Amino acid sequence: MRYISVFPIVVILSILFGSAFTGLVIAPGVASDIVRSPSVGLVAYSPTEAKGRKIYAREGCVYCHSQQVRNVKADENLVAAFGVSKAGDYFYDLPHFLGTSRQGPDLSNEGRVWRREIGAPARDYLIGHFINPRQYNPNSIMPAFDYLSTQELSDLTDYIQSLGAWKDSIKVAEASL
Amino acid sequence: MTSIQDRNDSVIIPNSTKPSSELLPIDLPDSAAQIWLYSGIFWMSVTMLIGVVEAVKLFYPEFLQGIPALAYGRLRPVHINIGLFGFMSMGYLGATFYMVPRLTQTPLFSERLGSLTAWFWNFNLLAGCLGIMMGFSKGKEYTEIPFPFDMTIGILVIAIAGNLFSTITLRQERRVYVSLWYILLAIIPFPIYYTLGNASKFSGIEDAIINWFYSHNLFGIWLTTLGLATLYYIVPKQVNKPLYSHIISFVGFWTLAAFYPWNGGHHVIWGPVPMWVMTASVTASIAMFIPTCATMINFGGTAWGTWEIMKRDIGYRFSLLAYVCYVGASLWGTVLAVMSLNAKLHFTNMTIAHVHLGFLGFGVPGVIAFTYFYLERSLKLKYSRNLAEWHFWLTMLGIFGYVVSMGISGWMEGSAWEAGSSPQGTMLDKYPYHVARAISGLIVLVGQFLFVGNVYKTVNYPIDLPAKSGVTL
Repeated sequence: MRYISVFPIVVILSILFGSAFTGLVIAPGVASDIVRSPSVGLVAYSPTEAKGRKIYAREGCVYCHSQQVRNVKADENLVAAFGVSKAGDYFYDLPHFLGTSRQGPDLSNEGRVWRREIGAPARDYLIGHFINPRQYNPNSIMPAFDYLSTQELSDLTDYIQSLGAWKDSIKVAEASL
Repeated sequence: MTSIQDRNDSVIIPNSTKPSSELLPIDLPDSAAQIWLYSGIFWMSVTMLIGVVEAVKLFYPEFLQGIPALAYGRLRPVHINIGLFGFMSMGYLGATFYMVPRLTQTPLFSERLGSLTAWFWNFNLLAGCLGIMMGFSKGKEYTEIPFPFDMTIGILVIAIAGNLFSTITLRQERRVYVSLWYILLAIIPFPIYYTLGNASKFSGIEDAIINWFYSHNLFGIWLTTLGLATLYYIVPKQVNKPLYSHIISFVGFWTLAAFYPWNGGHHVIWGPVPMWVMTASVTASIAMFIPTCATMINFGGTAWGTWEIMKRDIGYRFSLLAYVCYVGASLWGTVLAVMSLNAKLHFTNMTIAHVHLGFLGFGVPGVIAFTYFYLERSLKLKYSRNLAEWHFWLTMLGIFGYVVSMGISGWMEGSAWEAGSSPQGTMLDKYPYHVARAISGLIVLVGQFLFVGNVYKTVNYPIDLPAKSGVTL
């Protein structure tokens, strides 16, 4: 085999990697409006919701719960009830919680199931479920978050109730017009 | 012209003119390779142990309940980060620090730097993982290690890459063997995507796209390339004949380098991302068929007719296991990126089966194959054949059990969801598969403990191989 210099290998590798970098990192931010603008009606997280979001990140909820409804047959029921997730829905999410696995249910619209308007019963259910999931569903494999403080449980509940809740507010606003 | 299998396994001792009193133990040749490799084996046992604990928690959630640091959601990122940065990075860097001086016929640029980076990496990773367990996770997959420990990994990789790259630049052997190509691909772009993935503050979908770009590069052009470099080095030596075709390895390498960095977007197929991100990544994922086939043909051709060697050389058997699982995991990945199948199987245990065929099937046997190769060919030591046999069959059985149980479970979940069920609805159906998975993991773990004991005993209470028996190994 003839002697090959390392330099051209490095140059070609840089070009190949650089093209993927341009395509998947630079282009989505620069070339795509849907990536960089919020959905209509989307509201930013309140301070307690943001705190709850940090607890969600810290306890690794994202490893079992996706926050993403896709337009596919497997998500048919979710699409029918809540609609498909759009890029702008995640505008305020840092870090993102799209998820890769569903050991448990998708949570992107959990705030529309356990709505704030329900009041105490919804909050009691969510907090009780965090503390002992198997009290409500004997087959659940969700870890018991009995070690969280009352304040932490309350913040986490605020966050869960914010998920997708803004979508209902738009509907109410549209209906009242 | 000497081919790879004829090249000498010994390495030139650096600074041989200096008095030996100035040489610290970490300056001796291969000391860096040893520290990296043995640390990799240590972390491999740790991550498997954590994996088994998690597997039990998935069917018996009360297991170790009440200890926040051992909660499932905190152990899972620790399992993943130790798997990525502990076992696979360190194990394969051990192989890399062994291969580079031999392929270049040059002493390592700095053995001391290589050893110190290894120790620093160990403590840094330990601190990072304790940070996650104490609740400081950054919360995004594959970037959980908290600041400053995440950035330290990036700086250490720059030091490692500089060390290896300097060795390659100063090389005596001018020809660049295919393993070195893969090592170059591994060490050059890493600091860029690693920093991007860990330090960027984008939000929403942009964050998700960049997250997957980073993490897929971590598997694709950091771990896979180092793993393939190792296999390309040891397999021709184990079978004592040249590589089947250098042209095919050329094709395999350049198509891998061209397509793999584009794969990241296939984690959000059908997700809320621009259509062209999906299209580009699905195309690239399907194009990964080409490098996979190249590797399949190349190693298949090299391994053809080596039945006798396979029966007697357990290290070689592990190489073949790694090769088969690599091809299987890659083809499986290509299939899972097909949009219609992804619609059914994304979010199910099928992903977990695929990942474990890659890590447990390719990563683990690759490091093990290199370790047996290193003990036998380089240290010229005799390890316990019985323990190694047990280790091989337990590992093989465990991998098979794991991948099959999770694969079936994933298919069932996908089918159930398409029939209108929900994740809560499939919980009871998954129970037996979760139990089977934990048992398979336990089998692998038992094999792993036998292996660690075997390596420890071989290195510390050495029995030399009969002199000049190299051919019969």
